Amino acid sequence: MKQCEMLVIGGGPAGLSAAIEAAEAGVKVVIVDANEKAGGQLFKQIHKFFGSSMHRAGIRGMNIGQELLERCEKLGVDIWLNSLVIGMYKDNVVAIDVKKNLTEHKLEKIQAKKIVIATGASENAVRFPGWTLPGVMGAGAAQTMANFHRVLPGKKVLMIGSGNVGLIVSYQLMQAGAEIVGIVEAQPKINGYAVHASKLTREGIPIYTGYTIVEASGDERVNKAVIAKVNPDWSTEPGTEITLDVDTITIGAGLKPLIGMSYMGNCHLMNDRFLGGWAPCHNYSMETTTKDVYVAGDASGVEEANTAIEEGKVCGIAIAQALGYLEEDKAEQMKKEAWGRLAGLREGAHGAERTAAKERQLLEYKKVMEG
Amino acid sequence: MKLSETGILTKADLVEMGRYPSEERMKKGPVAVAECVQDIPCNPCETACPFKAIHIGENISNLPKIDVNKCNGCTTCVSACSGLAIFVLDKSYSDSYGKVTFPYEYNHSFKVDDIVKAANRGGKHVCEGKILKITNTQKADRTTVITLEVPIEYVDEVRSIYRDKQHQSSKEEIMSEKLADDVLVCRCEEITAGEIREAIRQGATDITGVKLRTRAGMGLCQGRTCEALVNQIIRQELGNSPADIGFSTPRTPQRPVTFGTLGGDLDE
Repeated sequence: MKQCEMLVIGGGPAGLSAAIEAAEAGVKVVIVDANEKAGGQLFKQIHKFFGSSMHRAGIRGMNIGQELLERCEKLGVDIWLNSLVIGMYKDNVVAIDVKKNLTEHKLEKIQAKKIVIATGASENAVRFPGWTLPGVMGAGAAQTMANFHRVLPGKKVLMIGSGNVGLIVSYQLMQAGAEIVGIVEAQPKINGYAVHASKLTREGIPIYTGYTIVEASGDERVNKAVIAKVNPDWSTEPGTEITLDVDTITIGAGLKPLIGMSYMGNCHLMNDRFLGGWAPCHNYSMETTTKDVYVAGDASGVEEANTAIEEGKVCGIAIAQALGYLEEDKAEQMKKEAWGRLAGLREGAHGAERTAAKERQLLEYKKVMEG
Repeated sequence: MKLSETGILTKADLVEMGRYPSEERMKKGPVAVAECVQDIPCNPCETACPFKAIHIGENISNLPKIDVNKCNGCTTCVSACSGLAIFVLDKSYSDSYGKVTFPYEYNHSFKVDDIVKAANRGGKHVCEGKILKITNTQKADRTTVITLEVPIEYVDEVRSIYRDKQHQSSKEEIMSEKLADDVLVCRCEEITAGEIREAIRQGATDITGVKLRTRAGMGLCQGRTCEALVNQIIRQELGNSPADIGFSTPRTPQRPVTFGTLGGDLDE
């Protein structure tokens, strides 16, 4: 069985940032990533990020991904690609299905002194008659197809959900040449930032607030969508149906943290709807209730890439400190700075709920540890 | 209709918030307007302005304040804004025409002097415009900035170039009589909403209970897609809280793996 100092599960913004901070202090890091290229969702984030110059604001996500990969390479971080973690066991042992080539796989086991769970999140589905038809897909899936694989999923797209994912992916599908037939939002108001919505409305894209999808239909793939006004009790208002010609329906209904590893690692989980559901609680070092197991990014509660990067940094610093690579004073100062940047990113009306939810996680950790 | 319902700001909204330059200022020469009215944690506009005319301050969720005396309408902030919400307006150009500068991140074949259809904040074609300038600086990192000449009365309205399309939406009296019970919920194991409701009637109160009775969540994706949907149905039927409904126990293997791969680990 292989041994390592620090094992990071998932090479997205959180995992890469954790690896970089720790490796800079001298920790030997292994990252395992399920995909052909590390970077998580960053390479499909072709838009400029919010934040301040401290968080690389105004830079496109894909360029941030490239920068993080280059820094990992320089620091000698060992990145295992095409490597699926299938389980986590006692004594910090992780089993990995490593794809050697198209047909050959090998099972590897690694034991690590410290583990970072940075597995990210998965998309929520919405069910309606016809949702299993070809052409109906997650907004994130459509974004991967268009921006990463450069395949346009369809020409006439209806987006379900007006959160930032729904708005940004609609904009990007339009940049890629698709027509956005409309954006449907069951709530009475747009969920994401107004600036993202305004980018679409000034191109003439209708946003149907207070509407929901009733049905999708088609023979070989979806070719019609019916939407209608929603009543407060979630029934639809008869007579308000609108039929739209579409070839694609994308669902941007939010994300939920991937908790498989946290559960297997015996980390205490709590349910909080502002963080996407179940997620492990943790302390100021991002360590879970299981000693030596840390969590960062969407796996610790769904937020966005900038917060994932900062949480990853906290993990990396804390691990370098725990392994004796960073002096306590310096590490505490660095962690404090990262938490300061996190507080900045969680400011504003959209961040207040997340800030409160994150505080609940920290409190829960205390409660559990104090028994 | 409010911004939060439509996604469309109006000049009146901005004027009311004191966030729109005065007629007098626009008549003097180009000036930036940040059509940014929600406290987003973001400040590249402040950093980008070479004249320090934009102030956000330490709390990066503050709205940008543009000092119209320091701003000379250089348009640097137009491509710096991650939200594509900054425009430069100029009513000093002539008595009957003004200029609007906006970001444009689409493939296009526009050239200077082209006459295009100008669109307002709602995407409606409101007037014709002549392209005066197209810039694509390296610093702007692929955000094209276009300046249009439009009739002066449209300077406050025009924010993009009209997009031609054929929306085929029609109001129809159609009713989906398909019973929701027919709808697939777990697509891997092909379990319908009706089967899940039946499991709940049989006594299932949580994800695991439904899973054991129906196999929903036991297929290739291991419930990553259907679990939240099963959760919704249980909540609708029983009114349980998400904490009571729980989740399906994650076990090895977390992702599909062949027996060959598992069995190949013979050295230990």
